[in-house]
Amino acid sequence: MNQAKFRRFLARNSYLFALLLLVVVVLINYSRQDNLFEPSVLNRNIRVFLPLVILAAGQAIVIIGGGIDLSVGAMVSLCNALLVTWITPETAGGDILLAITLVALVGMAAGLLNGIAVAYLRLQPIVTTYATSFIFAGLALTILPRPGGELPRDMTRLYRRLIEVDAFGNIPIIQDIPILREIPPAFIVIAIVLLLWAFVRQTRLVQYIYAAGDNAEAAYTTGIPVQRIRLGTYVISGFFSAMAALALTMSLGSGSPTSGDAMTLDSIVAVVLGGTRLRGGQGGIAGAMMGVVILGVIRNIISFYDVPTWSQTLVDALIILIALAGPGLVRYISDLIRRYRLQGGRAA
Amino acid sequence: MVTLSAQHLVKRYGGVVALADGNLEVQSGQVVALLGANGSGKSTLSKIVTGVVAPNEGQLLLDGQATSFASPLVARRAGITAVYQELSLVPEMTISENIWLSHEPMRLGRINRKAMQQRTQALLDLFQGTIPASLIPTTPVYNLHPDERQIVEILKAISQDPRLVIFDEATASLDSSQVTRLFELINRWKGEGMAIVFVSHRMDEIFRVADTATVLRNGSHVGTVDIAETSERQLVQMMIEGATAMEREAREPVAASAPIRLHVSDLTTEQLRGVSFELRDGELLGIGGLQGQGQSDLLLAIFGAIPFQGRLALGGKEVHFSHPQQAMKQDVAFVPGDRGNEGLLLIRSILDNLMLPSLREYGVPLRMQRARAQAGDVSDDLNVIMSSLDAPVNSLSGGNAQKVVIGKWLLRDPKLLLLNDPTKGVDVGAKGEFYSLLSNLRQQGTAILFYSSDDEELLGLCDRVLVMHDGRISAELAGENVTRENLVSASMGAAHHEAKPPGASQHEEPTA
Repeated sequence: MNQAKFRRFLARNSYLFALLLLVVVVLINYSRQDNLFEPSVLNRNIRVFLPLVILAAGQAIVIIGGGIDLSVGAMVSLCNALLVTWITPETAGGDILLAITLVALVGMAAGLLNGIAVAYLRLQPIVTTYATSFIFAGLALTILPRPGGELPRDMTRLYRRLIEVDAFGNIPIIQDIPILREIPPAFIVIAIVLLLWAFVRQTRLVQYIYAAGDNAEAAYTTGIPVQRIRLGTYVISGFFSAMAALALTMSLGSGSPTSGDAMTLDSIVAVVLGGTRLRGGQGGIAGAMMGVVILGVIRNIISFYDVPTWSQTLVDALIILIALAGPGLVRYISDLIRRYRLQGGRAA
Repeated sequence: MVTLSAQHLVKRYGGVVALADGNLEVQSGQVVALLGANGSGKSTLSKIVTGVVAPNEGQLLLDGQATSFASPLVARRAGITAVYQELSLVPEMTISENIWLSHEPMRLGRINRKAMQQRTQALLDLFQGTIPASLIPTTPVYNLHPDERQIVEILKAISQDPRLVIFDEATASLDSSQVTRLFELINRWKGEGMAIVFVSHRMDEIFRVADTATVLRNGSHVGTVDIAETSERQLVQMMIEGATAMEREAREPVAASAPIRLHVSDLTTEQLRGVSFELRDGELLGIGGLQGQGQSDLLLAIFGAIPFQGRLALGGKEVHFSHPQQAMKQDVAFVPGDRGNEGLLLIRSILDNLMLPSLREYGVPLRMQRARAQAGDVSDDLNVIMSSLDAPVNSLSGGNAQKVVIGKWLLRDPKLLLLNDPTKGVDVGAKGEFYSLLSNLRQQGTAILFYSSDDEELLGLCDRVLVMHDGRISAELAGENVTRENLVSASMGAAHHEAKPPGASQHEEPTA
């Protein structure tokens, strides 16, 4: 009974494997780099991960809803190109906010296009979003033919600087942990996204996304507006892509029409690493976020070992493959043990 | 009060007419049985009433007003809901999440989990005693047995406080105690003013629960009769044009000298607790009992699909299969109960499905002409009604699809045939053909192990019936003892007996 309960707990908390993996890779990284937990080092790492963290969160929502979005990278490129076109070092504060809002709307419009094609025209998500990714990539190239542009220094500084907090100033032990005195802004973003998710997880909308992704027909006969929900997941993904582009632009300080292209597949790998199955209806964005950090840390570790540059991609890919196979391997092995026990009893 | 009246509904899918003239009248406090062979349009008619599909012609009157439901949601708002045969549950979600999906109790814009779970528990209590106590609101649906899923499905419909409920084959996977409970509940709901449409293939159930019966044949309304003034034979007559009702199979006992095909001793799995029996060539051995007492595990273990302890001898030779492939090589065939999930590749053609277990026989590259000829012979023998061998399996009706599942094994000429509730949801006519197929196989010397949740089948067809309870064989009925009374009392009586077995008293010895 207890074992059944434990198994149910594992199944309901799909990110547990990711959490375990995260601890392992962080420890390995720490053994090679003992200043890993210094605020400035941590800040640099998290800052680099943040765009993909946001992107993977959006991707997770689409995948949970039973789709997939192969255009997220191109949407990032498009929004990145728009941001550096609309914002120059001379742009006033109010206009910057306006530009960011417009970019968010562009992202959502791009998502709307995907959503209409998939949910209402019933096109295959993989092919559709692959096709639209060329539209977005083409627009990015038209808007910003070659890398360039520059953000105001204040914006990039805001992104890089550690935020000093004094909230725990009076509590002796906590006060001595450096990272609690100087918090990277990226941390705060991640915390806000996770808190928001924890809040919306218990709303009808999110419940519907899971239901539509798990068994669309059952959801439909239950009276759930499956098409609108599907459409919604792509719009959310578009919005998250725009936010990822904002983080990326603030991190780089400039723009490139191909800046997001490599992020699409990473976002999917991160979602799967985080325990979300590609067939939908299960998983969560916390796991996807951990998946991104795992990916990033694995790449960190590789850079600390003397892996020749040209075989880095190979090693990287092999480690990711093993990590992806993890949950399946665990299940396979426990199945073998169960079989062995039952049949071993016969032999004895 | 609610009255619903469907008049001359027509539904066409492309060139195929699924419903030619659908009529249905039902009102508060009434249970109407909707009857018809598979493919007669019952499901289509139900789906129109619940807004899942839109009719091409005809009209729907709700409380005298002409209405049309654009989606299930609209129908539900009007108080009309259905318990589906094709289950409409979301597997990864819990029982309570499924029941309240789309009408969750809300608090401050968020789902009120506590209220949701309390209400779910109250609903589960309706079936208390017929479902395991381990079933709690937070159990995920993928962990449930088919009968438990069906009950969750029923509770889901009821949770919406509907005025009209359609039960579409809702009893097909329930055991008799669950059916009895459901009928008590239906009578209560009926008294509270609910209107109920009850779709079923089981005649005895219709006579137990329905007030009137509406019969469809080939998509058209044949007539509506008062159940109290109608006999079973008359109803069947209305359903199957001209043909007479199925005659009971004359039982000819197998010669005791027939060689033993299968010898099982002390078979144990997670669900089975030591099962032993023998099966002779040409014998049709039934397995009965309440649902989920280990019958499926028994068949799956023999077929090598799940691990087990114990000894199996096939034709005198000891075997221990650890994969279905090994069983197939020894001429064992298995016809699964859940034909959609376990038995068929739904979008592949009938030919592909029939060939699948025998692909090895047809060499490399496949000798398609031979495969086609043999598949054609088998489907002719089984009288599969199809447009061609190349039509996808999901274009067939339930009964015909089940014939394909059996046909694909017959191509291999099995010596031992394992049947896991093969006629579930199959119409009367197709059942009759299936029964004569079984008796042909027996005459050819095939040993058949036949689990059925339909007591009538076991009584009508089997030489011997093993009644299972809680992973054990609680009774073996043979010859004249194969009676309804014995079968029911063995499956139910064993349950009473089980409560106080002599050996188990040490657990609950009252402190005297």
